[in-house]
Amino acid sequence: MYKILEKRELAMRNTWYKIYAPHVARKVKPGQFAIVRAFKNGERIPLTPVMWNQEEGWIVLIVFTRGKTTMRMAMELKEGDSIPNIAGPLGNPAEMKKFGRILAIGAYTGIVEVYPIVKAWQQIGNNVTTLHVTFEPMVILEEELKEAVGRHIIEAVPVDMSKSFPENMKNVTERLVEKVRELLETENWDLVFMVGPTGDQKAVFEVVRKFGVPMRADLHPIMVDGTGMCGACRVTVGGEVKFACIDGPEFDAYEVNWDELIARSGYYTDMEMRAMQEYMQSLQGGGQ
Amino acid sequence: MPRRKIIKERVPTPERPAEERIKSFIEVNLGYTFELAVKEAERCLQCPANYAPCIKGCPVHIDIPGFIGKLVEHRDNPDKAVKEALNVIWACNSLPATTGRVCPQEDQCEMNCVMGKVGDKVNIGKLERFVADYAREKGIDEELLSEIIPGIEKKNQKVAIIGAGPAGLTAAGELAKLGYDVTIYEALHEPGGVLMYGIPEFRLPKDIVEKEIEKLRKLGVRILTDHIVGRTLTIEELLQEYDAVFIGSGAGTPRLINAPGINLNGIYTANEFLTRVNLMKAYLFPEYDTPVKVGRRVIVIGAGNTAMDAARSARRFGADVTIAYRRGEEDVSARIEEVEHAKEEGIKFEFFINPVEFIGDDTGKVKAVKFEKMRALDERDKRGKRKIVGTGEYVTLEADTVIIAIGKHPNRLIVNTPGLKVEHGRIVVDENLMTSIPGVFAGGDAIRGEATVILAMGDGRMAAKAIHEYLTKKREEQKA
Ligand SMILES: Cc1cc2nc3c(=O)[nH]c(=O)nc-3n(C[C@H](O)[C@H](O)[C@H](O)COP(=O)(O)OP(=O)(O)OC[C@H]3O[C@@H](n4cnc5c(N)ncnc54)[C@H](O)[C@@H]3O)c2cc1C
Ligand SMILES: Cc1cc2nc3c(=O)[nH]c(=O)nc-3n(C[C@H](O)[C@H](O)[C@H](O)COP(=O)(O)OP(=O)(O)OC[C@H]3O[C@@H](n4cnc5c(N)ncnc54)[C@H](O)[C@@H]3O)c2cc1C
Ligand code: SF4
Ligand code: SF4
Ligand code: FES
Repeated sequence: MYKILEKRELAMRNTWYKIYAPHVARKVKPGQFAIVRAFKNGERIPLTPVMWNQEEGWIVLIVFTRGKTTMRMAMELKEGDSIPNIAGPLGNPAEMKKFGRILAIGAYTGIVEVYPIVKAWQQIGNNVTTLHVTFEPMVILEEELKEAVGRHIIEAVPVDMSKSFPENMKNVTERLVEKVRELLETENWDLVFMVGPTGDQKAVFEVVRKFGVPMRADLHPIMVDGTGMCGACRVTVGGEVKFACIDGPEFDAYEVNWDELIARSGYYTDMEMRAMQEYMQSLQGGGQ
Repeated sequence: MPRRKIIKERVPTPERPAEERIKSFIEVNLGYTFELAVKEAERCLQCPANYAPCIKGCPVHIDIPGFIGKLVEHRDNPDKAVKEALNVIWACNSLPATTGRVCPQEDQCEMNCVMGKVGDKVNIGKLERFVADYAREKGIDEELLSEIIPGIEKKNQKVAIIGAGPAGLTAAGELAKLGYDVTIYEALHEPGGVLMYGIPEFRLPKDIVEKEIEKLRKLGVRILTDHIVGRTLTIEELLQEYDAVFIGSGAGTPRLINAPGINLNGIYTANEFLTRVNLMKAYLFPEYDTPVKVGRRVIVIGAGNTAMDAARSARRFGADVTIAYRRGEEDVSARIEEVEHAKEEGIKFEFFINPVEFIGDDTGKVKAVKFEKMRALDERDKRGKRKIVGTGEYVTLEADTVIIAIGKHPNRLIVNTPGLKVEHGRIVVDENLMTSIPGVFAGGDAIRGEATVILAMGDGRMAAKAIHEYLTKKREEQKA
């Protein structure tokens, strides 16, 4: 059991959890993730330690409220509660070398996975620019990133309340693609790195490939165990089947079969919506 | 022992009818009552221990006539009968409720049972299961355990066990009984290994496994879940803190088929499918959060225990299930009981077909599998199976879910340990089960590839003995 030392709403639909998990804090490196089972009857979901302290044994997770599990976490977990399982660290650490000028992009809460990596990249002598594209009320880690890297750019898209959430998300994708194109046209880059929804990663990659800049991406396939035992997270990279949890999660964007990954990530959407709806109804029922 | 009349036929164990059981995950076989167990026990001819072929067939050499005899001897006092029988079994096997249910008895203890010459072989597996179940229900196992615990002489040496499957659990239990301070490191959130995530509830109820693990905790074994050796900590680090290490990490990496379309939606490895269903309880979605999708038509590829478990689980979601195997019926490697149960439950078998392509629809979801028809030759391979060749003829079967159950490799995170000698993905050990790293031992599927529960337990027991010798020597050296 892992105790929640601190919980707060960081921004709209983004919750900050500081959790006592010394086995993860002791070993985690930028680029690695953890698998969290937040409830006894819950599923195992991958989340990323954003900050950590080895001596004090804590890690910070920043979680975007997306479906039932992340919603339940936001609604039900309180400071002082304990989370049944946090396994990790998992995945390979990001490669720590001098690439030169790096453009590191985070869409929505993807920026939290970018943060520990760019901080380390900048420290070993890279010149990092971060780009965070999200909705206005969801901007997070602004101060931390400004301090960590050479330049931090925020593209905050206003929410149009008259439109649906997916329509609003289209605006974010458009702004993201425009901004990336502008940065690639006006400056020279040695590496582009991106974390965010797979569809947005693919859209950015389509732009980057036109400029021929190397690009790497942390992939988000659906995971179950995260230890290489199930194959749920399999992706095709360079024509070979890879398990993102043990071979990744970072891969060369030029080699990834993006359409397959997008299709696989959406396989359970109908069931996820059902679970979410039933959960929302149970909340409205006043916990009877 | 007075001469008894020979009873040719086995006392049957009651089973739930097939129509009823395909609607639930409740256990299929109901097991013996004490009366029925005694009746079956009376059929045993009590062959002398040094001659009994059943003992030779059991990988851990349980004194089978010994424990069966106790049931008959104390037939007037069931509790006493079971306690003494359990004591005999425990000398060699600490998880009898499990092995009684999942051992391939027909190839092991029951294979050469002398009764087979005149009638049915003695139902050793079901008797073993009966003893364990009765003892658990009546708290007799706890009683026996509490008699053992005070006699344990604590040693101040520490052993780390990697993996809480049958190999690791057995090694841990034996070492704890010898007085060592034992800690198990398990990657998943529940201990048990395949017993927990692979073998379904209807064959091995999970509360039985949990109770067996509870006993280890009573012996003082610490179990740390969520710890992945190779990531959370390394074998090198373990060696700094512990006097010896045992690797029982199993063979968890699923093998895939190298054919186009393998990553289409709706194609599961058996491990993913069974983990979702068993460990994560997807059959109780949305009460349990993990989803699983079982279409109307399911094809399971492979014919081992894993394939039967996947097929029978899928059947319980209401699917029409076909097992497709590239060889013939004679080469099916699953336990006979599982194959029979699968057939009773309406699962179809297609032999001599080998998948060559998975065909998807425009959303990236599988809709059919193309197979090449195979033909068997008279020539046999190293394992004694007839060789097969493609015929150049193809057949396509429609499917909306495909489950791949063609075997597994050892866990890569462990195998990549520097200095650890590995061949064909399996950890290499010497006759004492010691690996190429001094003080590090290994057993179970990690050294054998996919084997059986009882072989893994046998390794766990043997490794515990070897570790005890190794550490005794170490203690003496330190004293000197
Ligand atoms: C390596 C990695 C690191 C991640 N780090 C973070 C992080 O730091 N912060 C954060 O907010 N999110 C992170 N995510 C995403 C996070 O795991 C999903 O948002 C979460 O699983 C959604 O669960 P849900 O029940 O709330 O939503 P659901 O309604 O169940 O699912 C919504 C969508 O989330 C994805 N998803 C669902 N279950 C899983 C799963 N078991 N594994 C992976 N994806 C899944 C699917 O695409 C799905 O369509 C990470 C994902 C990966 C793969
Ligand atoms: C579906 C299925 C059905 C089966 N049916 C039968 C049957 O009926 N009869 C029979 O005799 N056999 C059966 N088998 C085979 C049998 O289950 C195995 O041979 C046996 O479980 C092997 O035991 P083990 O302890 O070596 O490994 P496992 O049971 O695989 O346990 C290994 C454990 O180690 C953990 N682990 C792995 N890597 C790490 C790591 N890096 N760090 C920490 N922990 C780690 C795993 O999570 C797991 O809990 C079946 C197998 C399957 C998959
Ligand atoms: S452990 Fe297995 S092989 Fe040995 S007696 Fe029991 S059922 Fe038979
Ligand atoms: S071989 Fe059969 S009859 Fe002989 S002791 Fe064993 S179980 Fe009994
Ligand atoms: S999540 Fe199961 S193998 Fe990667």
